[in-house]
Amino acid sequence: MPTDTTPTINDLLPDAILSNIIAAVSDVRSRNSAALVCNKWLLLERATRTTLTLRGNIRDLFMVPTCFRSITHLDLSLLSPWGHSLTSSSSSSSSITDQAIIAHCLRNAFPAVTSLTLYARNSSTLQLLAPQWPNLKQVKLVRWHQRPQLASTGEELEILFQECRSLSSLDLSAFYCWTDDILVALESKPLVSSSLTCLNLLNPSFSEGFKSDEIKEITKACPNLKEFRAACVFDPRLLGYVGDEALVSIAMNCPKLAILHLADTLALSNLRGDPEREGFTQEDARVSVPTLIEVFSGLPLLEELVLDVCNNVRNSGLALEVLNSKCPKLRHVKLGQFHGISMPVELGLDGVALCERLESLSIRNVGDLNDMGLIAIARGCCRLTKFEIQGCKKITMRGMRTFVQILQTTLVEVKISCCKNLGAASSLKALEPIQNRIQRLHIDCVWDCAEDLQDLDAIEGNFDLSKLDRGEILNQSVGHTKYFGTNDCDYGGNSKRCKYSADLNCSYTGVGVNDNGFDNRCKYSYELNSSYAGVDDNDNRCMYSYDLNSSYARVDVNDNGYDNGNGSGEKTWNRLQSLSLWIGVGQLLTPLTSAGLENCPNLEEIRIKVEGDCREMSKPSEREFGLSILGNYLSLSKMHLDCGDIIGYAHTAPSGQMDLSLWERFYLFGVGDLSLAELDYWLPQDRDVNQRSLSLPAAGLLQECFTLRKLFIHGTAHEHFMMFLLRIPGLRDVQLREDYYPAPENDMSTEMRADSCSRFEAAVNRRQIPD
Amino acid sequence: MGQSVLEALNVRVVGSGEKILVLAHGFGTDQSAWQRILPFFLRDYRVVLYDLVCAGSVNPDFFDFRRYTSLDAYVDDLLHILDALGVERCTHVGHSVSAMIGILAAIKRPQLFTKLILIGASPRFLNDKDYHGGFEHGEIEEVFSAMEANYEAWVNGFAPLAVGADVPAAVREFSRTLFNMRPDITLFVSRTVFNSDLRGVLGLVKVPCSIIQTAKDVSVPASVATYLKNHLGGQSTVHMLNVEGHLPHLSAPNLLAQELRRALSR
Repeated sequence: MPTDTTPTINDLLPDAILSNIIAAVSDVRSRNSAALVCNKWLLLERATRTTLTLRGNIRDLFMVPTCFRSITHLDLSLLSPWGHSLTSSSSSSSSITDQAIIAHCLRNAFPAVTSLTLYARNSSTLQLLAPQWPNLKQVKLVRWHQRPQLASTGEELEILFQECRSLSSLDLSAFYCWTDDILVALESKPLVSSSLTCLNLLNPSFSEGFKSDEIKEITKACPNLKEFRAACVFDPRLLGYVGDEALVSIAMNCPKLAILHLADTLALSNLRGDPEREGFTQEDARVSVPTLIEVFSGLPLLEELVLDVCNNVRNSGLALEVLNSKCPKLRHVKLGQFHGISMPVELGLDGVALCERLESLSIRNVGDLNDMGLIAIARGCCRLTKFEIQGCKKITMRGMRTFVQILQTTLVEVKISCCKNLGAASSLKALEPIQNRIQRLHIDCVWDCAEDLQDLDAIEGNFDLSKLDRGEILNQSVGHTKYFGTNDCDYGGNSKRCKYSADLNCSYTGVGVNDNGFDNRCKYSYELNSSYAGVDDNDNRCMYSYDLNSSYARVDVNDNGYDNGNGSGEKTWNRLQSLSLWIGVGQLLTPLTSAGLENCPNLEEIRIKVEGDCREMSKPSEREFGLSILGNYLSLSKMHLDCGDIIGYAHTAPSGQMDLSLWERFYLFGVGDLSLAELDYWLPQDRDVNQRSLSLPAAGLLQECFTLRKLFIHGTAHEHFMMFLLRIPGLRDVQLREDYYPAPENDMSTEMRADSCSRFEAAVNRRQIPD
Repeated sequence: MGQSVLEALNVRVVGSGEKILVLAHGFGTDQSAWQRILPFFLRDYRVVLYDLVCAGSVNPDFFDFRRYTSLDAYVDDLLHILDALGVERCTHVGHSVSAMIGILAAIKRPQLFTKLILIGASPRFLNDKDYHGGFEHGEIEEVFSAMEANYEAWVNGFAPLAVGADVPAAVREFSRTLFNMRPDITLFVSRTVFNSDLRGVLGLVKVPCSIIQTAKDVSVPASVATYLKNHLGGQSTVHMLNVEGHLPHLSAPNLLAQELRRALSR
């Protein structure tokens, strides 16, 4: 406690500075604490708070706090009970006047709102709230429930456009509606449409996505768009597919686009593909290279481009080169099913590898990308901080590792998914060069190759790895020696050159035992003469010199020697904050640490997505999935456990199989051992009954998370199961969210009714708050 | 009662037909169990759905431990609902305990029901000299003790991990669904159910009945269906479903819906 004589922070800092400091605090709880310091701080905090998400119960809305006068962004999509309409909510007694009063209260409490997020279950919600803030600039509508019957197509959006004429940004990415609704509304209010600068139609609920004509019409109606995101039909077998014509129309109609994001509806579904699948689909998308060139040439302001197609776009390299030359601001690219993006000949660079300004790159299902192509990308795109690779069958651990090594000074976020040769252990091995740097990581928990690698570790144990500790060493892929056959070869991209040279002198002894039993003892050594001179932007010259005096014996890739990063010591991922994992249903999580993620001292957040059909599976051999292994990560406080793509039997499993309650027990076992503060849990589902209901074992296990503060269950639950959760002393924020398509209509999914929900919330709020 | 019972038991009336069809759920589920069956009947029927007072979806405060000591109280609830809705004639589709409730209601007010459809019904769960109900007395004690343990766990706040795989196979299916209700209510209701014996009154049922039985139902052996057919006072038929389990409306909704249609048209 400061005494009267000591100057306090209030005396030392002028208000203006203090106000700026407080304004810079984004964390809500820190802000709340700051507001409690003294009256002055309270005023400063309130005056600088611009974003607020209301989480109370709808029926308490008349008590909405009026102290937040400066709120410009208001989120009303997460009110409780979740998903209920603001208007039809409270009991049957609520009349039109009540609703009007609620709307008025909101308007009075938050006079400065210009950005609104709203759960618009039906059109009356919009009718009620849109007039309250006629100056709204940004609106995001949310609706997971099915679109209600409307008097006319597009009615809801027309109401919005009618009331909010200065709208500039509209986000419908989580708004369950029809594609027709959007087009009709945009065309009926041309003034609003033409002033829109952001339009997000990336909505996974559309069964097909936007068709060619619709894309044309939408872009025509909104010529000033800077950001356009939409889910499209790219499949040429479907009627009205998006092809060359539609793409050209986008560039013609909206030349100011900075962000263009077109994704096939299939690609939005977020399911992991089959890693065994051929990289090429049967059908080619009707997107030709000349069209792409035309489009890119017409969009000179482009900063972010996503073309997530699910049908082949072949030989796209040339188009991507044009993209680079025509769009100087381009920083982020994501491509799906584009082939030929990087096909280096000898040591030249081509395609996407020439986009040297890229900061993030994401590629999915590139059928012909091999290690050399990947390495070329690393050499060319030398500013990449984020890289995602999915469904690239030919990429091996070596290629990936070399890629990472070349980019080790920039790369902080990596996602490796669905690549046949990159299971968990090999992905982690490939990432070792940046294990002290990487902040966000996604890998697939496919354990199959882990054992091979472990064997290899044992073989490698006696290497002198001292030299390899230096990150400057290029560990080139042995499988592609032909590319390195030339000594001292000079090469460069058309504009960009770097100079690499490394000094590597090591000899590997790989010992491999073949299946046929003969001892394949091979000895090889190679000298790789290169020194990594860094990438010099001023001197755009780069030179690779390799001196490979090597004699390779035929060696199995897995028997091959490669350097082991930090040696066999503990593997520490110092800066890793966020880890995302995919895992097949029935697989165990326990090998995670032995695969290479032993020590992650700063890991705060983990996302685990489990996917698969457990109806075909017999009982797993182990009792638990292995969540308790995450106890090794001491800073872990948030978890997203997504079992939403597990399909199983609710209630009625045939004999010999487990129903979902037992699967939930399997997955949640040990969750109480982790000191989580926040948990998001997506319940597994039985598609036949559209049922995602919390089971007794799950409720029992969740109540053991004594440190939980926030719990979001994405599904429904019985009231008495929810009451279990009251045993968690610090629990403040609990919500059942049915945020999946289609959210069950209340009248059909009867587990947690609005009343049960309110009773539970009342019980939560009755308790003393420890802090 | 009237309006309040409709609200308390979440009564819904849907569909555009004229004939009235009541879908009554069984143990451990609620009316959402009919979700996949419902679409088949919306066109031709007005379908009445409600939750039993013991369902997890009803405010547990409504469960009066003094009142719901026998199935008669449940029967009264059903009749109250039908009266409040002004229903004069209806077909009652009941699953498990609701099938029993339907039988009792049809004895009390025969003119109200044109037909009873009994899914997974059993007049008595316990075996007797010349009756095979599926459960031995000892087994049922096991169920009760499992439930009591579960209840203890619930009261004491221990994770109720004993549920499911660790319960004897014969009672697993049964207990699994039971545990979807509040454990103290579950225990109470299941005692009520296991103590009830409708064998003596079956003859009083004059309404025609259709008995739908799955090929393998751990809580109701196939012989029970035959027993019902032979002892029910009205005209009755047995329909076998070639699926497993006690909850065909969840596990094989399409098949059951077809069978229901057939039974209704007869």
